[in-house]
Amino acid sequence: MESSDTIKGRFPTLLSDVPSTNKNETVILLNDKSKLKTVVGEIKNHFDILFMLMVVDKPPKVFEMNYVFTNYSKNDILTLRVNIDRNKPSVDSISNLLGSADWEEREVYDMFGISFKGHKDLRRILLPEDWPGRPLRKDFQVTDEVRNWTGLDLKF
Amino acid sequence: MPDKIGPNDFSYPGLGEIIFMRTEKFIQSVMNWGRSHSLWPLTFGTKCCAMEMIPFGATKIDADRTGTLFVGDSPRQADLVLCSGTISKKMARRLLNAYEQMPSPKYVIAVGACNISGGLFHDSYNSIEGIDRIMPVDVYIPGCPPRPEMFMDSVLVLQKLIKENKIKRYQDGIFRHDKG
Repeated sequence: MESSDTIKGRFPTLLSDVPSTNKNETVILLNDKSKLKTVVGEIKNHFDILFMLMVVDKPPKVFEMNYVFTNYSKNDILTLRVNIDRNKPSVDSISNLLGSADWEEREVYDMFGISFKGHKDLRRILLPEDWPGRPLRKDFQVTDEVRNWTGLDLKF
Repeated sequence: MPDKIGPNDFSYPGLGEIIFMRTEKFIQSVMNWGRSHSLWPLTFGTKCCAMEMIPFGATKIDADRTGTLFVGDSPRQADLVLCSGTISKKMARRLLNAYEQMPSPKYVIAVGACNISGGLFHDSYNSIEGIDRIMPVDVYIPGCPPRPEMFMDSVLVLQKLIKENKIKRYQDGIFRHDKG
């Protein structure tokens, strides 16, 4: 808790509190998404890893990104929440600050189509490169076209 | 002797032709007999059906009795694909890539519900609903997962199909893939 409070005290105008059900977990909302790298740079001094990057699709306006940080010694969990525009989804990459963000961001790009500025190797991680659509968006439909897509040039 | 042979001019095959046809058929059957008793599988196991593939090769069931030798998973030496598990759309290319590397008389056994029809993942955005959409399958083993005895039974069925020249890829006497 104390490391989370330190970070909250560091950026009083940028961060605002969100109520959390877990007593070990602190949820804070970042108001300005362009300051993400500054805040994560500060978080890195107190927390060890980014162990989860969750995205919630809230149509029609918002993708809600949840960066979950933890540290081993104090059993402290910090969730940094950023809302980004659903129509022009792009946010700064933090993969050069925290190495574990690399593949997480690639997966988010794969499933939701959010582009990360400054990512070195932003390719799809699970699906084929030429696969049509972004499957975890709420407006995605499993149509016959998607079901029968193989991406292969079949002869028989 | 007419210049052109018309459609109505039928000539009976001579003794030489008959001997040639019979010999060709005999050689074909001998080769098929040989092929059916030395199936080297490419064990393309992607999921839990592959666990049942292990007792198929082990002591109790013993695939070696039928000549199905687990000699190593190289497609270059294999002539049978034992394909099991869900094939995702990304994996489909790898599977077909391995299949195309195999030398020419080649046979396919589809193992398990996921592999035959999609199974549990039949309505997914990222799974192939049955590998007979991407390659010709000779024998299907149903089950989730199938018993190792069923692997043995499928190999016996496949041997019978090879001896009777009823393999799907070589029906009508030509390679189906080579039709273009």
